[in-house]
Amino acid sequence: MLTSKCMKGVNIGYPLKIKAVDLKESEVDFNPDFISRIIPKLDWTVLISAANSIGKNENLPENLLPEYEKNTEFLKRVHHVLLEIDVVNGELICPESGRKFPINNGIPNMILNEDEV
Amino acid sequence: MDNCGKATLSRKCDRKQKRCQHIIEKETGIKCTLMASKCIAICNAGLVNGLSEETVYENFIQYGSIDNITMLPGKSCCFVRYKDIEAATRAFDNINGKLNIAQNSKPIYLTYVENIPSPDPIYQNTLPTGLIIIEDFVTDTEENMLLELCNFNELENGSMKHRQVRHFGYEFRYDINNVDKDKPLKEDIPHQCDILWEKLKLEGIDFVPDQLTVNCYKPGQGIPPHIDTHSAFEDPIISLSLGSSVVMNFKNEDVNIPVILPKRSLAIMSSESRYAWLHGITPRKLDIIPTQNDLSVIHRTTRVSYTFRKVRKGECDCQYTQYCDSHAKKLKSKSNSIKNDVAMQLETAHVYDVYDVIALHFSDTRCKPWPNVMKFLYSLQPGSILVDVGCGNGKYLRCIENVFSVGCDRSFGLAEVAGQRGFEVFSCNCLNIPIRDNSADGCISIAVIHHLANEERRLQAIKEMARILKVGGKCLIYVWARDQIRNQEKTFYLKQDRKNRKESSTAVQEQSPENVTVTGDVTLPVHVNRTQFQDQDLLVPWKLRAENTPDNKENTFLRFYHVFEEGELEALCSQLDYIKIVKHYYDQGNWCCIFEKIKKD
Ligand SMILES: [Zn+2]
Repeated sequence: MLTSKCMKGVNIGYPLKIKAVDLKESEVDFNPDFISRIIPKLDWTVLISAANSIGKNENLPENLLPEYEKNTEFLKRVHHVLLEIDVVNGELICPESGRKFPINNGIPNMILNEDEV
Repeated sequence: MDNCGKATLSRKCDRKQKRCQHIIEKETGIKCTLMASKCIAICNAGLVNGLSEETVYENFIQYGSIDNITMLPGKSCCFVRYKDIEAATRAFDNINGKLNIAQNSKPIYLTYVENIPSPDPIYQNTLPTGLIIIEDFVTDTEENMLLELCNFNELENGSMKHRQVRHFGYEFRYDINNVDKDKPLKEDIPHQCDILWEKLKLEGIDFVPDQLTVNCYKPGQGIPPHIDTHSAFEDPIISLSLGSSVVMNFKNEDVNIPVILPKRSLAIMSSESRYAWLHGITPRKLDIIPTQNDLSVIHRTTRVSYTFRKVRKGECDCQYTQYCDSHAKKLKSKSNSIKNDVAMQLETAHVYDVYDVIALHFSDTRCKPWPNVMKFLYSLQPGSILVDVGCGNGKYLRCIENVFSVGCDRSFGLAEVAGQRGFEVFSCNCLNIPIRDNSADGCISIAVIHHLANEERRLQAIKEMARILKVGGKCLIYVWARDQIRNQEKTFYLKQDRKNRKESSTAVQEQSPENVTVTGDVTLPVHVNRTQFQDQDLLVPWKLRAENTPDNKENTFLRFYHVFEEGELEALCSQLDYIKIVKHYYDQGNWCCIFEKIKKD
């Protein structure tokens, strides 16, 4: 969802590339109903490439499965990728400008300098 | 009169004439002649002496048909052209030296002239851009019906120097040149007027007004030239003339266009004619308009005009900025407000840096979610995406299940606190939110934009929140209110002071503030905590006890706040036409606003 659109000269700035240095996996309560409601709001291809770039694909398919809301196993894997994996340290990279946004302690720093807006 | 007297008069006339002829030739280039001609000049009286076209007309018309009267601005002479020499001769013989209409009731002196100055090019046939006159807009029967709707008290007439006025829908206040937008009148526009909108629709114009001003002009009455206040009314303004025709003068820079408003006609003033042209009615009993080879004269009778307008919500953003009060206001507030570069320094030093230092302590004091914010969060559909702009310690993130919440904060310190609590957060400035357009179902910004140091930046933050919302998505904004006492009740903020809690009266002690120069040439007052705000832009101290500071010394930090006046937050939001205000309210010392995005920006 994050975008570097706000930067001068960047029109779309989405998706941001992810470079992960440290990953953290944690446990979050699984709520299948919540996950199946969130899925249609995701850009699936973007999610897959993001998951790939941090090496945590969890065997998610290139294309969204039909009737995924009934597939608990699938929802669990999406749940894991979406909510249980955090990039603790790394960076987000704007696909257009190459501008890097550092991630420290799990918090991406998206603050732009005055000359970038 | 004896012969001797006649001779004296004639000699006097001759002398006067000679002197005046010289002046006329010099001033206007018009050649005087001793031979009788259709054209006559009045040598010693004109507009500068207070002689009106009306008076010239009334006196000269008695001797025959006139085809032109030319009054020159700034001159003490004027010209009359008859249709034939006989009429001109009759007028000359009867008027010259005998008619006392010059200054101080002195007689006027005439001379024949070869021709008259060519009609001023300002008298054009074209109407001001955007002005449309629809003749015979209503029938005689409709005219009478409408006239009966609004009977002006005949008793007052006679002594009435000025026109009579009545308002419907809203009152137009001549003292402030605007309407009281919050105080609609009990009396709406009479429903009998509805026929007019139906007729307008047939002309392809969709216009339903909510304000009506009825003016009654007796012959001799007028209205000074004016442009209707931009911020008061929308475009167009329409005016129906009943009872009598009249000439309305339209003026823009040095162009003056007299426009005949026939009785039963509708004048539609739109675009340039509405925003940039003065319009007025000269107080006189008859209107004289030179046409190609003739004069058209309107003898005024009682005229009633129905002027329909639509009250503007928010500010005008027309292109005719030099005539625009909204534009002037904007410029003024811009020049009074803190400049952008200074605002940025101020926010860095007195907001972000402070929060970074006090983050932990601040977070400890901010645990309880506010009930009305929770109510908003609960209104979100399951599976919604919520963005908390300025999330602080993240107390509203994951408050409710089934909503995917993301928070952001400009303070690293606070974002870190929220991150450690396991929330999805990132740091960014709310002036540039790194989230795609039209992607969030809900957005909240609680106690954030009052930290932005000028209006342009506060509006920019609102624009960003509106941008990231999906169409149909809603946003809740809370800002600190300047007024901390509403309905005779002190807010929690004031009650926290023990002294105030004991007092039974609502009066809060006023202490004169200390001023601090923050950055550049900006000096701001320091607020005395737990008291009413004395200013809108100020510094609010945050005391950090020794045990909470890195160096174990008690320290006071000053945070910048812009506290909002009533209606200010709404006014900001209503500047964006792609959002609709759903609700605005006062909640425990805060002004709050919920808006919905109604279309893509
Ligand atoms: Zn305007």
